[in-house]
Amino acid sequence: MEDVSGEGTSRQESATAFYFDGSSSRRRVVRLVFGDALGIGEDGAGPALWTYDDIRQVDSPAGVLRVSCLSAPALARLEIRDAALSAELASRCARLGENRPDGRTVTKIVGWSVAAVASIVMVVLFAIPLAADRLAPLVPQALERRIGEASEVQIRAMFGKQVCDRPAGQAAYTKLLGKLREAAGLDTDVQSSVLSTEVPNAFALPGGKVYMFSGLLAKAENPDELAGVLAHELGHLKHHDNMRGLIYNGGTSFLIGLLFGDVTGSSALIFASRSLVTASYSREAEQNADSMTIEVMQKLGRSPRPMGELLYRITGKEGGRNLSILAGHPLTEDRLQRMSGEDRPASGPPLLTPEEWTALKAICGEAARK
Amino acid sequence: MNEMNIVPRHPPPPPPSPQPPPLPPTPVTFTGSRGEFIRLVTRGAALELVTAGFYRFWLATDIRRHLWANTLIDGDAAEYTGRGRELLIGFLFAMAILVPIYLVYFWIGIEVERFKEFASFPLILAFYAFGQFATYRARRYRLTRTVWRGVRFWMDGSGWAYAWRAVLWGFFVALTLGLALPWREAALERYKMRHSYYGDLQGKFTAKPSEFFKRGWWLWLAMPFALVLFPLFPFVYAQFKAIEWRWWLSGIRFGAVRVESALPRGAFTPLYWKVIGWYMLASVALAVYFAVATGIAAFISGGFDHAGGPEMFSKSIPLLVMGGIGYLALILSLNVVVRVYLLRDLWVTVLQHVQVHDIGAASDVAAKGDLATALGEGFADGLDVAGF
Repeated sequence: MEDVSGEGTSRQESATAFYFDGSSSRRRVVRLVFGDALGIGEDGAGPALWTYDDIRQVDSPAGVLRVSCLSAPALARLEIRDAALSAELASRCARLGENRPDGRTVTKIVGWSVAAVASIVMVVLFAIPLAADRLAPLVPQALERRIGEASEVQIRAMFGKQVCDRPAGQAAYTKLLGKLREAAGLDTDVQSSVLSTEVPNAFALPGGKVYMFSGLLAKAENPDELAGVLAHELGHLKHHDNMRGLIYNGGTSFLIGLLFGDVTGSSALIFASRSLVTASYSREAEQNADSMTIEVMQKLGRSPRPMGELLYRITGKEGGRNLSILAGHPLTEDRLQRMSGEDRPASGPPLLTPEEWTALKAICGEAARK
Repeated sequence: MNEMNIVPRHPPPPPPSPQPPPLPPTPVTFTGSRGEFIRLVTRGAALELVTAGFYRFWLATDIRRHLWANTLIDGDAAEYTGRGRELLIGFLFAMAILVPIYLVYFWIGIEVERFKEFASFPLILAFYAFGQFATYRARRYRLTRTVWRGVRFWMDGSGWAYAWRAVLWGFFVALTLGLALPWREAALERYKMRHSYYGDLQGKFTAKPSEFFKRGWWLWLAMPFALVLFPLFPFVYAQFKAIEWRWWLSGIRFGAVRVESALPRGAFTPLYWKVIGWYMLASVALAVYFAVATGIAAFISGGFDHAGGPEMFSKSIPLLVMGGIGYLALILSLNVVVRVYLLRDLWVTVLQHVQVHDIGAASDVAAKGDLATALGEGFADGLDVAGF
């Protein structure tokens, strides 16, 4: 490489290039001298010397070779528009293309991305559920109640504001709730009331509030059916399922959103994968709450089976109707089967007297008994 | 061509003027190959899919490098010196700052829900201001990575000062039902441009908002109709963008250097319609694909014994997977289409109608200014705001 310089200089003496010295925007027409280092010579000024190994190619339009030099000012640029001269320079600069992106760069990016995706998936599947389980019981009662109050506003907006509280019915309801609460090992922070709405459902809110909807009450045929549902909701309270769900949902939405971040239009994908993972998490919580029903009812000497029957009466057979991996609850028939498996002959006294049960059924007044 | 000229061979000499005639304006040319750009964004979209979106930092960088390096002003091409790695680091730093803010936001959200009067309006406002801050800082990053003739552009000024101006002007625009938009844009551009420099040449924005309004007044009348009759919307929007670009470019000054744009009103309309055409085509292709996929899925699950229809989609896992693949293919191809037409072709169209006056004032500018970090781009990415 060294001894071609003499020949090179004589041949390239007249070949010119453009040079920007990086401290001014002046375009200088220069002559290149290929010596031990590249000489960039301007009329009436000493040449700048660029070491061949420090010369790197930078972006340029087609047909132009534009180079910078590591040991020159960062923005100094040499532009060669003559193909032969470009080839001449390129043949001397062994490391010309070193910071151009190539296949290796892309492989590295893909590799690290796959690793990042794998780590996020692991966090979503294992770390966040663990964090939710550990953190939820540590959330102060006051904060939990505040979140509960916020969601109460929404529940009331969705299902109406009318609370059923005819005195006789309320007394029966309080008695039933008290028995279940003691058996479940919860303190007196638990509050519950019946909301007048046709929807057959019940809710537990963070901070210890349970809402029973009159639609469900109307469908219930005996106190044990209702007690099973209430015990299930108390199970959610005892396990802090709301807080766990909140931490879990917040964490997974954030991470999955981060993962797919900016691939425009991917929100549907985010939604799909999120509902998949959160549904499985909520199925697990529901199963644990059902376990609470079984435990409480058996402690009171009653069977958990009526609750399964009540649910089956409301939903009918669920299997085959929707994709079961997207469902937030276990299938009703599976729940009925589980409750039936735990069926024992009654060993304890009835939870409510027939008079109390009639009063409870009438807690919303005649209008609601359709 | 013709020897027989109607015009006399020797036109009368112009009256002698005391000053030399002004030099002709310099055009700006684009030399990039369209095929190369299409390959670049197609490969980029595929890599974005493989990397679950992380490639976006490098794709954005590659697109900018291509556009910058092929834009020639007065014969010299610009250069983009930013790198994907910087954007990734900026994004990670932005996330580290945004995560606690999101948590505080969540906490405040719970608190204000209890007192309905406050609602969450101030929070949205704070996020809007933060988005404007991010836009300013992102522009600063891009500008400091822009090099021409070995001298970089750069910016000073404060992102927060800009954000508060943007918020106050935003209020004003809302109060006037959008009529004040040109005045908002002019005020914000004046701020941005007076803090922009090329070497030691300071920028300036001189376009009059009334000019914008005069050229596009009918857009304000058309907009309510376009929102209702949505096929009109792309037409109105394309005209709006063309008028905005022309007005914006014609207001740009760096020292004595003047930019002028003669972009016609309808210049972008074909581009938007082409995107819509491709979108329709892709949707039809997707519909056909879904029909075929449903057929195959029905075949796999043993004939048509359980009736198809929408219920089937939520039941069959192979069908869900095939649907997901089809959806992804649609998104990726539309990404390519949008980048080719609304980034590259739009840029080329804009440049075709640009002329630069008195470029001589930029022929010996002293280098100045420091690099800015990519944190602003990271915030902009994290908050999903964009701007140029």
